[in-house]
Amino acid sequence: MFKNTSEPQRPQAPQPVNTPRTHHDEIETVVGPSVVVEGDFSSEGNILVKGTVSGNVQTGKLLTVEEGAKILANIKAGDALVSGEIKGNVRAEDKLHVTESGRILGDIYCRVLEVESGAIIHGKVTMTDIEIEDIRADRKRTTSRTRSKVEILPEETEEAL
Amino acid sequence: MYVYLYDNFLKHKRYETILKAIETRLTDYGIAGKIVRLQQYSSADLLLQDEVRKGAKTVVIVGNDTTFGHILSYVASHTVTFAFIPIGTDNTIAEVLGIPVGIEACDILARRRRLRLDVGWVNNRYFVSQLHIPPSPIAIQYDERFNVSSTSGKMELVVCNLQPFFWTGKGRRYVAHPQDNKLEAFLRPVVPGGWFKKEDFEEPSIFPFEEMVVTSKKPFVVEADGKTTKEVKVTIRLAKSRIDMVVGKERKF
Repeated sequence: MFKNTSEPQRPQAPQPVNTPRTHHDEIETVVGPSVVVEGDFSSEGNILVKGTVSGNVQTGKLLTVEEGAKILANIKAGDALVSGEIKGNVRAEDKLHVTESGRILGDIYCRVLEVESGAIIHGKVTMTDIEIEDIRADRKRTTSRTRSKVEILPEETEEAL
Repeated sequence: MYVYLYDNFLKHKRYETILKAIETRLTDYGIAGKIVRLQQYSSADLLLQDEVRKGAKTVVIVGNDTTFGHILSYVASHTVTFAFIPIGTDNTIAEVLGIPVGIEACDILARRRRLRLDVGWVNNRYFVSQLHIPPSPIAIQYDERFNVSSTSGKMELVVCNLQPFFWTGKGRRYVAHPQDNKLEAFLRPVVPGGWFKKEDFEEPSIFPFEEMVVTSKKPFVVEADGKTTKEVKVTIRLAKSRIDMVVGKERKF
């Protein structure tokens, strides 16, 4: 009645494929929960991490780090959705979304940043492709101009005299 | 000139009618040719070498997934056009290639829509359908860039080329596309099971690759296109655009 099988179940025989191909069928790189990846890990497609990765991670598309996953690496991705833990710098070409269970211990570079309440970020955040007038620099510039005026004025007066 | 390689199982009486119908349809199309019946111990490679020498330009494999994988693993190095007429059950590759099972396959053959397909290369021979390594304590290096191992020790590896891999865990279906310039490796670590199972498979990790090296301290079983061997180190590589194949319009790639 209760079978205690010593051998794990064999993979099921491939079934005929009847459904048309959709984007969900596309193969993406998946790192399972008990899988450990070490080295320069790069992919042209989406990457889904549920296990542990150490080294460098690179993709031009979406990187998803699921809850419980650990990445000890610098990351470069098109977009990133982080629900796990990352120890390293994260550079997203477009959007970085950190969910409530997400932890990033490193610097962040992205164009759009979305952080849910409860998420932990420890590092410098830089938003790329955005030009903001630096107030400090402006202040410095204005003060230096006034100083130079102050310095020039006595010389002119001396020459005039 | 067309050469038709019939699998051994087609000797059975139940296939007589369908084979006669196929032969008639091929004659109607004017593409009938020499029929070679494969026996259990006949070498497909030697047979094909002989036929190519005699002027064969198109080799048509008649049978199922096993026939297709078995023959092409030996003869993929020949520079002829390959075609496939699937008969009977176990025909998942035909569906990926867009070839209907039975007599309708003759229409696809007559249209001669050809494509160059990638095949896999494992320890000095080709494989076209699937390579399977049952759960073993293996370590894998991908494209000389990163290593993959499991915290649980044993892993099962399936490398797909033309034959799709189907996993029922979340009802999701994966289809390996022979034209994507990559092979797909499905890796399933063995984890402790629940109350009624000692061991179970974890959901698969998927890695597209061009070259991988599988190593182990203990010999492990490798099954590729019906051939089983024991190895301690296996190099699996992608042979790009290796075979010229007649495919259907409804193909999955």
